[in-house]
Amino acid sequence: MTTTSSISSEEAAAKAAAVWPQTLVGAGVLLTGLGLAYGALDISSDAGYGGVGPNFLPWLTAIVLMICGVFILWEARSGGFRELDPPTGAERAFWPGFVWVSAGLLINAAVITSLGFILSCTLCYVMAVQGLRRATGQPSGAPRTWLVDIVTGLLISAPVFWTFTQFLAINLPGLTSTGWF
Amino acid sequence: MEIFNALMAGFGAAITPVNLLWCLVGCALGTAVGVLPGIGPAVAVAMLLPITAKVDVTASMIFFSGIYYGAMYGGSTTSILLNTPGETASMVTAMEGNKMAKSGRAGAALATAAIGSFVAGTIATVIVTMFAPFVAEFAVKLGPPEYFLLMLLAFTTVSAVLGKSTLRGMTALFVGLAAGCVGLDQISGQGRYTGGIPEMLDGIEIVLVAVGLFAVAEVLYAVLYEGKVVEGQNKLSRVHMTKRDWKRSIPAWLRGTAIGTPFGCIPAGGTEIPTFLSYAMEKKLAKDKDAKAEFGTTGAIEGVAGPEAANNATVTAALIPLLTLGIPTSNTTAILLGAFQNYGIQPGPQLFTTSAALVWALIASLYIGNVMLLVLNLPMVGLWVKLLKIPKPQLYAGILIFATVGAYGMRQSAFDLFLLYAIGVLGVIMRRFDFPTAPVVVGMILGPLAEAQLRNALSIGEGSAMVFFQRPMSIALVIVVLCVLVLPRVAKRMSDRKMQRLAQLDA
Repeated sequence: MTTTSSISSEEAAAKAAAVWPQTLVGAGVLLTGLGLAYGALDISSDAGYGGVGPNFLPWLTAIVLMICGVFILWEARSGGFRELDPPTGAERAFWPGFVWVSAGLLINAAVITSLGFILSCTLCYVMAVQGLRRATGQPSGAPRTWLVDIVTGLLISAPVFWTFTQFLAINLPGLTSTGWF
Repeated sequence: MEIFNALMAGFGAAITPVNLLWCLVGCALGTAVGVLPGIGPAVAVAMLLPITAKVDVTASMIFFSGIYYGAMYGGSTTSILLNTPGETASMVTAMEGNKMAKSGRAGAALATAAIGSFVAGTIATVIVTMFAPFVAEFAVKLGPPEYFLLMLLAFTTVSAVLGKSTLRGMTALFVGLAAGCVGLDQISGQGRYTGGIPEMLDGIEIVLVAVGLFAVAEVLYAVLYEGKVVEGQNKLSRVHMTKRDWKRSIPAWLRGTAIGTPFGCIPAGGTEIPTFLSYAMEKKLAKDKDAKAEFGTTGAIEGVAGPEAANNATVTAALIPLLTLGIPTSNTTAILLGAFQNYGIQPGPQLFTTSAALVWALIASLYIGNVMLLVLNLPMVGLWVKLLKIPKPQLYAGILIFATVGAYGMRQSAFDLFLLYAIGVLGVIMRRFDFPTAPVVVGMILGPLAEAQLRNALSIGEGSAMVFFQRPMSIALVIVVLCVLVLPRVAKRMSDRKMQRLAQLDA
């Protein structure tokens, strides 16, 4: 009896904790629908022979997403999402690791054209691996670890760059015009 | 005879040294991505889509098909040894296969999975060879109304039937349709949702969405929630099947193939239903007392053989709707469609006449790929298992480098890398709140095509929706769509009522 009640109280606590995140998801869907509807106002309705013009699908998606958003909000506020599989992994997010990986990706996007693919991707790799090491509880801050990560990043980025630019003729930005770095 | 000659010509094109090499590299890469957690065939093909700018169409399609096929073989290795199915296709394999591995029979499970995949893949390829040209001939007769309804069927099944929640499936589908709207309208050429950003005029690249939703989201999810997850690996025993294992596996392979092939042929998407059906059938058919007792305890070999065969048969047969109708039924086939589109080729009924050499070379390469994969996966399984030793932080961070190649290589735009990150964050939210991702990709790729067919159909009908009810085929498709929407719900309601009644009786 005690076990059953403790399980149900745990479930109730988990459901209560999920109300706000689920509400935010519903609001996000609703806002996306509204944003799409706003954008659809600018699209011509010239239908030609067909009866439906270029604004048909945008309006349809906007309206359906708004309806879905309202239903998701309703589900979130009335006992939580229905038929929801419990998410995998930990209950609480590890935000410091997320910041490291996000910074790696965003800095890569910002500097790839000026630093070139190899250095920019190495930077992204090093930052991402630092975040992931922290998430798994591995040692991450030691100078030797940084050095190993930098060398590994270079050892992955450089051959990838050469393979794609030299053999497959895909344009990736280089720091020099030699095509090798 | 005509088909045989065409296939032989296909073999002639496929067995050139260069194409054989592409096939081998594709199969090996596919097996590797199947084995490695974090990347599946869809994302591997997506990340490598930029090669379509340089590599010849036949070679690249052979390469991508090798990845597509190989990942199915490799996926079973991870499921059996780690109990972490890379995708839904391997979930059932993980159920019984992992139990077999735990009781010291990993080798037999791996062998039956690999040989079963080979048997099913080959039989299904024969079916593709024999039936695809007929389906293409028939499909020529379909007009825009029928095409639109076929796409509607694909949307319905992928969003409303396969996922657990219709609401979340529909939301995901319409997010994909909205993403597909961005860019120039196919018919009028008018810009939609471009926001004044020049890059948006070309629309959102499918590579960005696939790589963002699957690869970047996987890395972000891993760092946020899965850092402390520890996976225990089962010990690999000798890859060998006893006489009894063979006797139990062969019928299961054949039954799995018979179940999987029709599911691949219809635009009903996914390998979940055929693999689970095959598992249920094997469980029910187990006559032997020992075999019956093995299910769910020490692992029954039929529970691996049947679903693995069903999985591969479905995956192979899914090429029929892709090549003959231009309708993808899974994430990977959706991206393969994108690869064709990069070459200016639109898969569909005309493909067998306009690009016959390409299609037959591709089909021939499936036969060759199956043999290569059997060799790669049986004697060399130990090598693939070593891949599981790559530490997760380095593996996931390395994936981001390849994601950058895929996203940047398509348009050489740094803006796309910012968009990639945003899509990755969206993918994390979708995964955390159990939104399916397949409808996003299918909606995004099929959305503009379905819209064009709808508008063409309505133009033919001079604006009247009656055009969808005037021909037998379109009426049949409308009925199928309605059945797909209604029947599962009615069945569920009936079973719920039955359960309630039983519960009342018990009380």
